Amino acid sequence: MILNTLLMAASPLLATTPDVLAIQVGRAETVSDGTIPNAVILVEDGKITVVGEDLPIERGIPVVDLGPDSVAWPGLVNCYSRHGLDSRAGNDSRPGVRASAELYPSPKTYHELLELGVTTVGLYPAGNGIPGRAAAVRPTGETVEEMLVADDVYLKVLLRANSASKKMIRDGFEEADKYKEEVAKAREKWEKEKEKAEKEKKKKEEDRDPEKMNVGPFVPPEPKPEALAFQQLRDGELKALVSVTSAADYLHWTDSFGEEEFGWDLRIPASRNLDIFHVKRDIGSRGVRVVMEPTMSLHPNTRRLRNLPAELAESGAKLVLVPRSDGMADQRDWRHDTAGLVWAGLDRGTALRAMTLEPAELMGLGERLGSLSAGKDANILFFDGDPFEPGTELEAVMLEGEVVHGEMR
Amino acid sequence: MKTLNLNKKRLVAGTLALFTLSLPATAAGWAPLLADDDEEEEEKEPVPEEERTQYLFVHDADIHTGTGEVLRGASLLAKDGKVVEIGYDIEVPGVHYFQDVPEEERDFRTRTLDARGMRVYPGIVAISSSGLTGTGGDFRDSIDPFSQNMVLGLAAGITTTGQGRAAVKLKRYVELEPPLPYDFDGIVLSESTYTSVSYTSSASRRSTREKMVRTAEYLREYRRWQEDVKRDKELKEPDKRGVDSNLLSILDGSTFGRFRADDRDDLLAIARLAQEFNFRPIIEGCREGWTVADELGRAGAMAVVTPRERRDKDERLVAEGGSSIENAAILSRAGVQVAVVPQSQGISLDGIVGRDIMHLPVEVGFAIRGGLSDELALASITTVPARMMGVGHRVGTLEVGKDADLIVTDGDLLHYQTFVQYTVIDGQVVYDKQEELFFSHIRPRDEVELPPENPLDSGENPEEESAEEEPAVEEPPASADE
Repeated sequence: MILNTLLMAASPLLATTPDVLAIQVGRAETVSDGTIPNAVILVEDGKITVVGEDLPIERGIPVVDLGPDSVAWPGLVNCYSRHGLDSRAGNDSRPGVRASAELYPSPKTYHELLELGVTTVGLYPAGNGIPGRAAAVRPTGETVEEMLVADDVYLKVLLRANSASKKMIRDGFEEADKYKEEVAKAREKWEKEKEKAEKEKKKKEEDRDPEKMNVGPFVPPEPKPEALAFQQLRDGELKALVSVTSAADYLHWTDSFGEEEFGWDLRIPASRNLDIFHVKRDIGSRGVRVVMEPTMSLHPNTRRLRNLPAELAESGAKLVLVPRSDGMADQRDWRHDTAGLVWAGLDRGTALRAMTLEPAELMGLGERLGSLSAGKDANILFFDGDPFEPGTELEAVMLEGEVVHGEMR
Repeated sequence: MKTLNLNKKRLVAGTLALFTLSLPATAAGWAPLLADDDEEEEEKEPVPEEERTQYLFVHDADIHTGTGEVLRGASLLAKDGKVVEIGYDIEVPGVHYFQDVPEEERDFRTRTLDARGMRVYPGIVAISSSGLTGTGGDFRDSIDPFSQNMVLGLAAGITTTGQGRAAVKLKRYVELEPPLPYDFDGIVLSESTYTSVSYTSSASRRSTREKMVRTAEYLREYRRWQEDVKRDKELKEPDKRGVDSNLLSILDGSTFGRFRADDRDDLLAIARLAQEFNFRPIIEGCREGWTVADELGRAGAMAVVTPRERRDKDERLVAEGGSSIENAAILSRAGVQVAVVPQSQGISLDGIVGRDIMHLPVEVGFAIRGGLSDELALASITTVPARMMGVGHRVGTLEVGKDADLIVTDGDLLHYQTFVQYTVIDGQVVYDKQEELFFSHIRPRDEVELPPENPLDSGENPEEESAEEEPAVEEPPASADE
């Protein structure tokens, strides 16, 4: 490594990204530790090792100084997308299905996202009811393994105000209960068999029945996909991302699971006449995440604009912003649409967090992604100015320590 | 209006006499005061909101109970959604006693509604409507308690409505501070309120009558069997073959049969059927009811009419016929209970104003014009429809023990100028005119309540007039130049 470092130090032009690299930027918006002026970001083996103001840089470590106007952001995380997946949404409710199963690695398709600064994508399975489990992927790689960051990052659930939809949730927990009983029964049976085996062992050698002596380890019965999903929700192994389209849907959702305790966040498509503000205090008091598009809504049946993402954030909900759609135009406008909300009153820090750390935490990847802090993956964006200002260009994109788009000059 | 009128004075020893009274809300609030000082150190958890008794105190209004009485300047107390007291000098926890108990230690919450100078009526009951509480049949799992139609229904004073065969409350979701869980179980008052019977074509008349005969016969046999089986336990239940379960529910009195008929002949046929089989029919339409009111009255019929309906009589017939503005009045005089519905039973925001479900009181106004008394007019949109749906024991009038569903208006409910200011369902304010976009700008409440700022007409105060006029002379009106 030392040799490598020495070689790199000799040539200021970076043909390939070295293992250790110090980057100086005018400002680093870390999300987790505030904004650091004149920041130095030290990247080593694909991870961020240090971020700080005017840090002394050890001799021999290659340094890239991007100038006083440059701004570093964590890589953007779009947690709710079907980019590159089949556009014909299915109609199935299959809680066992994984979105990664339909992942078709296509470097070109996903590289488009990298060019826009999206370094992690949450892909959800299409369908109705409970369509399945989402996967987090990095938008690069030739195989599924190379792309996949994590599976089962959330369970997608669609809930509407009708009895069939609510029954689906109640039934799911019932299935989990039934399965639990089944396991208990199976274990009881197994223990009895084991006991018998012990007795058998104590018998004299000639009386022993070797078949009765062989009791393997306990194997629980195979659960139904519904039972497994709801069991995992209860155990905290899985979180639900629940899609609701109105305040009524939300109310019926909270009614559907009653006293059950498990992790869930909300997906609320930001429609024109969205009336979710009726329940914003309830949503806020639960402190759940809300996944929305960065658009303004109209107060129902009026022409009054409402900044619902900002209202929800002020009420205590954790805001997650996603592009308006998977279309390239909307993906491209993601940052500017969010800037629009900031202009209309959304807190700037909340807006940035809503595109980075909050979606990472929603997918359970908050320890690895979403902010510029020591120990996290070096997913970093470099801009030539304030990214929320029009005209600012994304100069370079670093994914896990590699510059995958643009140039660092 | 939701703030408490609290007495800030500390509790003095003399008021301890209160303890001897057995008051509804005792317990939690008082325990620390009675306990020794050292024991008081422990920080008490505030009482959870859903465990608190919820009071609503509507005070100083003219209360029209719907039973014929009007109590001037009276008050009403609701406790957990039910009316517990109507009258004068009502003692209210948190207002008249217990006001010194800190808010978080109370096991009750009292909200007050100052209705000074206003009137209180029972909530309006719309016998049938569409689209007020959502479209689905399973209201508990599909109601949209935020919908605009529901708010407009509440703005019209409607608190209960028949939708399909169910009687449903317009239970809007209100975000309270601190929040209370939404009462899903309180939405539906009754799942099936009536049984439809078709009796206008000759074929339907014949088949209905045949079924009625068989069903009545079965019912007689069944009742006899009920008596006999006490003596002989082996006795078999009568054969139920050919018995129409819908008609059976009418004949045994568990639901009302509802007919749709307008013509005199049909009405007479229904009256005869009702008398023959001894049940009380509800007749929707009943346009020519005024021509056969006595027969309908004798048959114990009830009618759902639209006073503004207009239709000429069939000129081929000699007998009287067609619509009459006096229909409701004449039917009422003959003992027929009358409920009123407007022409359109949904909320419509286009077309001609005043013909949709939002204008029940206006529709009733036409019945009054035709001779119906004010009292019966009010009953036609409250008590009578509630009774027709079999929910008269819960809603329709303001009486102790019934649901606290009421409206507060700024004048006579049956006057065209009157607005509903507040609507209360189950003791919860679910509509406040000033808080909604629809009517808040029309005669805002403050203007109604306050006396006019300048009681004098212009010219009555000459000094002021001249003082104002002088600058006006110096500045000629802009229009004069052009």
